Amino acid sequence: MARGYRAVTVADIVRRAGIARNTFYDNFSSKEDCFLATQDYAVEESLARVVEAAAEADGWEACTVAGLGAFLKYVSDEPALARTCIVEALSAGEAAQERYEQSLQAFVPLLRKGREFSDHGDDLPDTLEETIVGGIFWVIYQRIVLGEAERIESLLPDLVDFALTPYIGAESAQRATARL
Amino acid sequence: MTFDPADAPAEYPPELSRLPPGRHGLPRDFVVHNQRERLIAGLAEAVAEKGYGGTTIADITRHAAVSRRTFYEHFDGKDECFVAAFDTVTEQLRERVEEAYQAEDDWADGIRAGIAAMLAFLSSEPNLARLGIVEALVAGPVVVERYDAAVQTFLPYLEAGRDGRPKKVLDRLSDSTEEALVGGMVSLISRRIVAGQTDELESLLPDLVEFTLAPYVGNDEAARIARA
Repeated sequence: MARGYRAVTVADIVRRAGIARNTFYDNFSSKEDCFLATQDYAVEESLARVVEAAAEADGWEACTVAGLGAFLKYVSDEPALARTCIVEALSAGEAAQERYEQSLQAFVPLLRKGREFSDHGDDLPDTLEETIVGGIFWVIYQRIVLGEAERIESLLPDLVDFALTPYIGAESAQRATARL
Repeated sequence: MTFDPADAPAEYPPELSRLPPGRHGLPRDFVVHNQRERLIAGLAEAVAEKGYGGTTIADITRHAAVSRRTFYEHFDGKDECFVAAFDTVTEQLRERVEEAYQAEDDWADGIRAGIAAMLAFLSSEPNLARLGIVEALVAGPVVVERYDAAVQTFLPYLEAGRDGRPKKVLDRLSDSTEEALVGGMVSLISRRIVAGQTDELESLLPDLVEFTLAPYVGNDEAARIARA
């Protein structure tokens, strides 16, 4: 995806993959079909890492930290796949955009659980999780566009603070990030 | 001038003024400018109907009620027309936000007024909202770059909220705080537009005000201002 989704041709894909054009069409019906399969693969794999990391952590705060950490690590380990899912997906047509939105939504329940640990959980805005996740993805998107995917893990304390503060307040969030 | 008033569509977005019918004797600059605005409005209508990918030059000229030749006097093609439309939307949005923000003395009131102006503009101009916030991303790398740059222009409004805060607040804010706040806001608005809820955007005001003010003034004060 070094050239962006629109500019990439099936010829580019088979050349990079070192396979025959026929083999491409045995597996995919079109460039879009191939893109969506790539996206599905990466979303599934990154979410599996998030879930796995979160499952090993104890308590909501630690789960959020571990899940976000695992996600950033995936982005930095797999910059090309991350670019596909977080940057190119936005401009690769409706089906890709829909999958992108669904992948963002996967983080909403994880965050929403924080309401149970907040002393004002019932008063928090309904849209809070959507805006937090949208904000985190926007920051990651910017870093990828700027070619800084490899250094993305350094954002973890800032993003954890951003995600936790609305639920547990600034001071508790800061204690959680101080341990990072 | 090949415009025939009889062919004009019934409605233009109110933002984009309409050329009066008949022989008007208006200065050429005005006519030219007006044609350009009509083409931009025509593109916004066509894109709202068919999406960026499905929109043709014929769709744009039909909605704008100008000839194909006139289109090519103004633009090289669909992409260039889209860029002009996108720039128009972001410019208007910025003007509304700036005006609303400047009219308030207090920073937090200014942010609330700015967000309110943004939501009011987008909900009153559903075609332009869709074009500027949703379709822009599929319109190629040139527009995506402008989209990113346009989002960045809203950061300084929030950054001004750092002025005069106690050190313990400033220490907590990171380099990416404003980016995350504006990104979160745009992401939510975009989701609502995609879901066909553009006319309900203004109901997001309290949530967005609370979300954006909280890092600066604290959760409780942000909630108080948002619900005042």
